[in-house]
Amino acid sequence: MTNTIIQFNNVTKQYDNDPVVLDNVSFEIERGKFYTLLGPSGCGKTTILRLIAGFTEATSGEIYFDDKKINDIPANKRQVNTVFQDYALFPHLNVFENVAFGLRIKKMKNKEVEAKVKEALSFVNLLGYEQREIRDMSGGQRQRVAIARAIVNEPEVILLDEPLSALDLKLRYQMQGELRDLQRRLGITFIFVTHDQEEALAMSDEIFVLNKGKIQQSGTPIDIYDEPINRFVADFIGESNIVKGTMIEDFLVEFGGKRFECVDQGMNPNEPIEIVIRPEDLEITSFDSGMLKIEVTSQLFRGVHYEITGIDHDGNEWLVHSTKKAKVGDKIGLHFNPEAIHVMRFNETEEDFDRRLESYSEGEADGE
Amino acid sequence: MSRKSSPFANLFLFIIFFVLYAPIFYLIFYSFNSGGTMSGFEGFTLDWYKELFSDTRLLIIVLNTVVIALLSALISTIIGVFGAIGIREMKRKRNQNSILGLNNVLIVSPDVIIGASFLILFTMAGIQLGFYSVLLSHIAFSIPIVVLMVLPKLMEMSPSLIDAAHDLGASRWNVLTKVILPYITPGIFAGFFMALTYSLDDFAVTFFVTGNGFSTLSVEIYSLARQGISLNINALSALIFLVTVVLVIVYYYISRRAGNQGMGGMRR
Repeated sequence: MTNTIIQFNNVTKQYDNDPVVLDNVSFEIERGKFYTLLGPSGCGKTTILRLIAGFTEATSGEIYFDDKKINDIPANKRQVNTVFQDYALFPHLNVFENVAFGLRIKKMKNKEVEAKVKEALSFVNLLGYEQREIRDMSGGQRQRVAIARAIVNEPEVILLDEPLSALDLKLRYQMQGELRDLQRRLGITFIFVTHDQEEALAMSDEIFVLNKGKIQQSGTPIDIYDEPINRFVADFIGESNIVKGTMIEDFLVEFGGKRFECVDQGMNPNEPIEIVIRPEDLEITSFDSGMLKIEVTSQLFRGVHYEITGIDHDGNEWLVHSTKKAKVGDKIGLHFNPEAIHVMRFNETEEDFDRRLESYSEGEADGE
Repeated sequence: MSRKSSPFANLFLFIIFFVLYAPIFYLIFYSFNSGGTMSGFEGFTLDWYKELFSDTRLLIIVLNTVVIALLSALISTIIGVFGAIGIREMKRKRNQNSILGLNNVLIVSPDVIIGASFLILFTMAGIQLGFYSVLLSHIAFSIPIVVLMVLPKLMEMSPSLIDAAHDLGASRWNVLTKVILPYITPGIFAGFFMALTYSLDDFAVTFFVTGNGFSTLSVEIYSLARQGISLNINALSALIFLVTVVLVIVYYYISRRAGNQGMGGMRR
């Protein structure tokens, strides 16, 4: 038995003559992991979810579930369950009957139904709420009912369509932890859709970053944060300073009118590239000893750190996260390590990108 | 806390209700008149009611009216509910709107035109005028009303509810019986009662398509009134008014109890 549970092969989705929603997307999803589809609204992430659930059909391409093609299998015959953005709880049924809905459809015996519903409700800490009406439940509780309703059917995959977006911040943090915990305890595959990059980084084993119907990059949260493939990913995930530069030769990059040592290689000499430096990798030093010299234009207090914005003499804007204070109008220097520089080539495909990164670690191994 | 309404507003309200209800109470008042006319009250009597209840022809007509109303309301509710579901399922907004437009035209078009056109249709189709022609026409003019009452409830339903039901393994039939119908039940009841009242008090359409001795209350009262004033009619009207009031009260309690069910959970 392979570990792959869902596979998309060149799947395209297009409504009438509108622009494509999903453009020739292929990916594989492994059993028992927590996946996140991350992207701005309209990027196609919910469409992927609806294709897996069977609410909509692919225009072309194949979708496999457990190595069986499921393009033509209706939603009610698929072994996946969905937690909807608006929860989609049935208002005419109470909590118990909402959770029991799927079991009743399967004509399960009353005793079994009761045991399973109780178990599912205990998983989401809602025991004792069985007889409540949905309208008497708070947003967070409704969320849990929706999750219980999905897990009670023991599906192989649970799809979650921005389920936390309607909750307030504190509750959202709490539910993030609970969801992650629940996924580990159940051991089933979660596919989670969100536009909130923080949520994605915190919860996922694997993230697919989507934009304009294409998967831009896939990988672990750390991979995606540290090694974004292109400007879109770098910009969308976390905050970043993106500056145009030139790759002079291996391990030497030029930007802001200066040359810096870096850890990237394998590009053409003098190739135009973009570099990314995360704001937390920039350290404030004195003006004279700074590798970059900027004039501070604004400073915001963010609680954990100061968010300082400055401009260098080339007009590039730099964002710095620092626990040190600066004053607007100050001239300060910035220090960073060679590892902090991440080089992005233009129009690099994901395969080429992965190959390039892999060659680095091989290079390191050779060097040792 | 609550704003007091001005005395003028109260007075206005009083006058309006007085104007609306005075004729009805005037009618009821004289149904107890032993004088036989509505010009002077001579003495209290229940003779008119006795006469009414001994008039089997009139009782049969009352029965006819109720049977027609119940049957037509029932059938039009069933057809109307499926019609509304069909309209909701339509993919294109434009088709949806044009069908809805056709539906609404039937509601606003004058009864006389509907009645006359049914008369032409039935004579051309060779359907004998009588019970069935009246029933058919009542069903026909009630369907658009039911559609109009049910559709808002359907539109308010989140499409993800249906997706969720499919997702949990429900077939199309399950979705209909376990999700859609329970959700729109209040709309269905409203539609049914609307159709019932429209059928009960319809005069124009029935007047056109009835025949062969078949008659309903509104048509009968009209012909009785033409023959001359008899306090029979007053007695009959008084009874109908009473029944209406009782129905309204019953409806009020049913809807209040339905509302209370939700509150019950809150209190716990």
